[in-house]
Amino acid sequence: MSADVTNIIFVLFKFLILFGFGLYIVFAAVILRQEQLMANVLEESFEPVLRFASFLHLVAAIGVFLLALLIL
Amino acid sequence: MPTVFEEKKKDKILVNRGPLVERTIMTPLTSFAVSPEGIRFETQEQEEKVVLFLRQHLVVLLGPLLLVILLALAPVLIFPVLFQYLTLPIDVPISYVIVGTAFWYVVTFGFALMSFLRWFFNIYVVTDKRIVDIDFIHLLYKEFSEARLDKIQDISFKSSGIFSVFFDFGDAYVQTAGGDLPNIEFLAVPSPARVVEAISDLLEKQKT
Repeated sequence: MSADVTNIIFVLFKFLILFGFGLYIVFAAVILRQEQLMANVLEESFEPVLRFASFLHLVAAIGVFLLALLIL
Repeated sequence: MPTVFEEKKKDKILVNRGPLVERTIMTPLTSFAVSPEGIRFETQEQEEKVVLFLRQHLVVLLGPLLLVILLALAPVLIFPVLFQYLTLPIDVPISYVIVGTAFWYVVTFGFALMSFLRWFFNIYVVTDKRIVDIDFIHLLYKEFSEARLDKIQDISFKSSGIFSVFFDFGDAYVQTAGGDLPNIEFLAVPSPARVVEAISDLLEKQKT
């Protein structure tokens, strides 16, 4: 396979990956929002830990997106 | 003859495994709590007391937990072996491997989080006035159903299978009077017999 074709494949692949990661960020944001809504349904002392975990998940999703943007 | 000693009538619920008089201290993994403190649910009235607080038995988290362990170990143990026998037409750059692995772990974390949230917010509450079932079915769908104690017609439970008998969990069914009211199902709750007896006791109390 020639170098040009390989490069085109990788560029297309990069865009697909970034699009997928972008969708995952939306999913992570929905989890965080849903967790906040459910916290209103049930008030419990452990809830801040879950909120932090949901927030961490969103940050990790954004981090992976940025990592892909920078190094791919 | 004068009464020398009179036992004070305790506000207790007698069940087949002993009285439900103790107060359960809530932990993040509590799935069966009697008169728990520090917990409130949506629409709970000021004077309304939570008698029983239930989640599904912890054993339901076993499947997701095993899957999470498998997913976490896959990039370290499974993929290297798999890629030894897989020949790709192009060399995958190391940057793709790094990003792919990082994303894999984020998704694994997301799956673990979602599984736990679903379990954590899927709750059943028995108060001195009603029975509440809050289902966090999936990300964008929650269901809230309740039945007032005076509308309850019949309660039963089912526990079948080796796992259910071994870990003592099962389904409790609360049938309500009137066609428009929902029947409430407590699925895979710990000690379903105790749950049913506790509700029966509350119903008897209410009648007297």
